[in-house]
Amino acid sequence: MRKSLMEILCCPVCKGDLELIVVEESGEEVLEGTLRCAACRVDYPVSEGIPNLLPETACED
Amino acid sequence: MLPDQVYSPAEDSHLLLRAALAEVRETDRVLEVGTGSGYVAAGMLGRAAMVTATDINPFAVGCARARGVAAVWTDLAAGLCGPFDLILFNPPYLPTAPEERMDDWMEYALDGGPTGRVVIERFAAEIGRVLAPFGRVLLLVSSLTGLDAVRELFARAGFISFVVDEERVEDETLYVIRAMRDLCRMGA
Repeated sequence: MRKSLMEILCCPVCKGDLELIVVEESGEEVLEGTLRCAACRVDYPVSEGIPNLLPETACED
Repeated sequence: MLPDQVYSPAEDSHLLLRAALAEVRETDRVLEVGTGSGYVAAGMLGRAAMVTATDINPFAVGCARARGVAAVWTDLAAGLCGPFDLILFNPPYLPTAPEERMDDWMEYALDGGPTGRVVIERFAAEIGRVLAPFGRVLLLVSSLTGLDAVRELFARAGFISFVVDEERVEDETLYVIRAMRDLCRMGA
């Protein structure tokens, strides 16, 4: 996912803002990382460039 | 070559893309919900300011990304805040009895519940959250799913709609409806 995609992403549960934590990137493209919802205390993974915003696969704090 | 767990583009996909190309403006932020192989979304690349696609099937999300589309693995528009100017959806619309269910990824692409309208109802209820005030929705509807019933449920969700394209395919007629917020009823 491109970093600019952050503008249109939100937490799938509370619809609040997500924080991007990059683990591996290539230019503007984030390949591995985490999308964190501070309000829900849940981490959603970015894996192989794809943000996974399905609530049932998230990791709770 | 698509994984066998991903819906291959068919007549419905071609019709939705044709309608979308006639509708899209260069400044549009476009979202395709339930993109499947990414065929329709990829067809919008270069014709809009931004093209994003979602699917609940991870194999489909991978296909869409491989076609160069910004792809998000989520249910309908759950993980998106938008706003989008043009939203496209070729929903699962086949009326499916519980005993006919297949319990695999392809089922998400096909199974519309007993009425064929279960996912469309959820879409109509939720999509306003990510649609720009003057945004447009293009939805593929089959005669098997019931054109009037679909337009009625969009009306109840606060949208006006009309048919912009249609095509006869064997024993089914496929329609594309264009829906917009009913601005006369807003705040009423």
